[in-house]
Amino acid sequence: MTRFITGYGVCSALGVGRETFLAAMKNPTLLEHRTLPAAQAFTSEDARVAEVPDFDPAKYLGDKGLRTLDRLTKLVLVAARLAAHDAGIKKDNAYVVHAGERVGILCSNAYGSLEAITELNRVAKLEDARYINPAKFPNTVANSASGYVSIWEDFKALNVAISDGNCGALDAFTMAEVHLSQDRADALLVGGGEAMSEALCLAFQKLGVLETKAVLGEGAAFVVVEKVARGNVLAHVLGSGSAFSAPESDLQVTHGSADALSRAIASALAEANVDKGEIDLVVSGASGLRVFDRIEIAAIQSTLHEDVAIAAPKMLFGETLGAGGAMAAASALAYLEGAPPTPIVSGTSRPLKTMLLTAMGYYGNASAVVLRAP
Amino acid sequence: MTESASRVFVTGVGVVSSIGLGRREFFSALEKGTTGISPLELFDSTSIGRGYAGEVKIFDPKDHLTQAELKRTGRCSAMALAAARMAFEDAKIDASALKGPRTSVVVGTTMGEADVIGELDHAWIKNGPRAVSRTLLPKYGSTLLPIHVARAIGAEGMILCMPAACAAGNYAIGFAADLIRAGKADVVVCGSSEIIQELEFAGFARLAAMAPERCQPFDLNRQGLILGEGAGMLVLESEAHAIKRGATLCAEIGGYGLSCDAYHITRPHPDAQGSISAMRQAIVRSQISPNDVDFVNAHGTGTKANDQAEAKVMKDVFGDRRVPISSVKSMIGHCMGAASALEAVACIFTIETGIYPPTIGYETPDPECDLEVVGNVARKGRAEIVLNNSLAFGGYNAITCFAKPHVLPSPKKAA
Repeated sequence: MTRFITGYGVCSALGVGRETFLAAMKNPTLLEHRTLPAAQAFTSEDARVAEVPDFDPAKYLGDKGLRTLDRLTKLVLVAARLAAHDAGIKKDNAYVVHAGERVGILCSNAYGSLEAITELNRVAKLEDARYINPAKFPNTVANSASGYVSIWEDFKALNVAISDGNCGALDAFTMAEVHLSQDRADALLVGGGEAMSEALCLAFQKLGVLETKAVLGEGAAFVVVEKVARGNVLAHVLGSGSAFSAPESDLQVTHGSADALSRAIASALAEANVDKGEIDLVVSGASGLRVFDRIEIAAIQSTLHEDVAIAAPKMLFGETLGAGGAMAAASALAYLEGAPPTPIVSGTSRPLKTMLLTAMGYYGNASAVVLRAP
Repeated sequence: MTESASRVFVTGVGVVSSIGLGRREFFSALEKGTTGISPLELFDSTSIGRGYAGEVKIFDPKDHLTQAELKRTGRCSAMALAAARMAFEDAKIDASALKGPRTSVVVGTTMGEADVIGELDHAWIKNGPRAVSRTLLPKYGSTLLPIHVARAIGAEGMILCMPAACAAGNYAIGFAADLIRAGKADVVVCGSSEIIQELEFAGFARLAAMAPERCQPFDLNRQGLILGEGAGMLVLESEAHAIKRGATLCAEIGGYGLSCDAYHITRPHPDAQGSISAMRQAIVRSQISPNDVDFVNAHGTGTKANDQAEAKVMKDVFGDRRVPISSVKSMIGHCMGAASALEAVACIFTIETGIYPPTIGYETPDPECDLEVVGNVARKGRAEIVLNNSLAFGGYNAITCFAKPHVLPSPKKAA
């Protein structure tokens, strides 16, 4: 079943908003060639992270009600508001089409608000648990950011939080199709967010990720997926797939699975009724993390064909984890608006009509989505 | 002519709870009205001013998990995995028969492996970044809850975690049924899991939402919720798959309703319009009328605001008809992410036995909650169709319908 993307909103290391994102994508600079500013989300002199630059949520949300919200919530709120307006569902924060009861959100996030959890754990450990700020406690709950979007934007249809690692935002497309086909909403914001924090950076440093070419990013992105074509359709969603494969060793936890990605791609193509030869570009999840990138690219090539063009847009804005699939969707939309797919890590580019988005989780899960130009 | 989608059946259940492990213990305790609420032993909560919980003191992961699984999992995943194993056994389905891409796993939670992040944070805060354990890091992440279950059975379909707070179980069960009806899976292992952790416990105490010793849903003198923990897991099968292997059908899953209050992050909407919508959706999507509903398993947290909102839902949907309602949170506490999956298992209990579990500690009816509460003692009654309510943090509302097999009309195929 074809669904319709009518708008999107983005907060990323490339800036805030569709126009800013598009301009940066049209004039791409690899992160490895950029001088990254010092981290804002925490104090660090040497953390090489790609944050949303000069992030000022009040510019988009107003001054009121932001004081107790964490960075994750603010990123997600801004991206969602921009998406709803870009799609023409809202103007000046009032509904133009649809009713709040018919608009919902599917929001992926991989690790929760580590900023909020760490802050309150710090209070509990250094002072006492009885001193934790009750106004900030809700930020520690995994569906908090998504819940706040409904409150701020008056989205009263379903609100679904997803924690599926790097695959969550692409899995949100699968879930969106299920819910739209059941007439649970007319429009769904599909995407996710991940916020930079000292804890996240420390964890990735400990795991050795930041010693690779991968740059830890942050951001939030949502595309508006509608049941029926309306307004300015940016792309069609044709199909999606998701699969899992366990590692051979019973003790292993992290692993990338070529088998799972291959099956996810096959499912997405079958649902989309698209032949593998029709895929003009794969918008991959490759991030510079060599072991996973190698598996992902090999799986794509073996499932499609050796010469298929594979883009790695994370090299421009960093690894955004739970938001990754949504950033891939935003990248694909930018390509359809004339941005050159950059960098192409494998294969030969050709004119774009049909694209495959892929994501590979750290635990053996993988997902894929097929998009086509309108 | 409208095409039919597959019926979806529950063929097995597994439980880790403060009132028992597994179907038999849990069902027996539900019927007796046993309390699982006791003085908290997991950590010292003296300074927080609250010290009772539905802590699962009888659960030892070593009794349920392999050595490798013990090394890989935190306590929340261990509970999910143990309950899933009980559900496979209850379904009399060999785990190896579940291997392959037609089996999916969907697990919900609120905070996931909160003890893992707590331990990491505490080491970091106390001794600096060098003290953060590299081997502990990969255990964190709610994503892992369904992954561990999938690995135990070789499931290779969609593996998903839905952190939908106190509605997580209903979210997981509802979407699991969707996957089967959409033809994306034959079997889905689903449910939810939650542990009590210090930060979460302190947070609810600081929100002034916790009662000192007892959870008394719908009672005039109720003082709030009591936190609990545990896991509830269900095996769902398509009709064709269940029939082919001669499975015993515990119950059928009807429609479910989803909505968001879009009102306040912790408080339900005082008019309860979102939850009313969710319950009406569950009824309409099950192709029944409110008159067909025999019993409602309440969200019933024991807070003033929640119970009043839920009473409004009941009045709006059922009018003057006094449908029996009960909250098992009076026995096991509010198990957060695990709550609605454990309560779904309680719904299966009611459907199988015709027994409504009691709301214990129900002493003085609250006129603002003028409901047919099954107070203190279990009651026998008609149990063809029951609803499972969850009205959660973030304004999440999810209400699921369970029925005796083949009582509901055939589900329609989605457009």
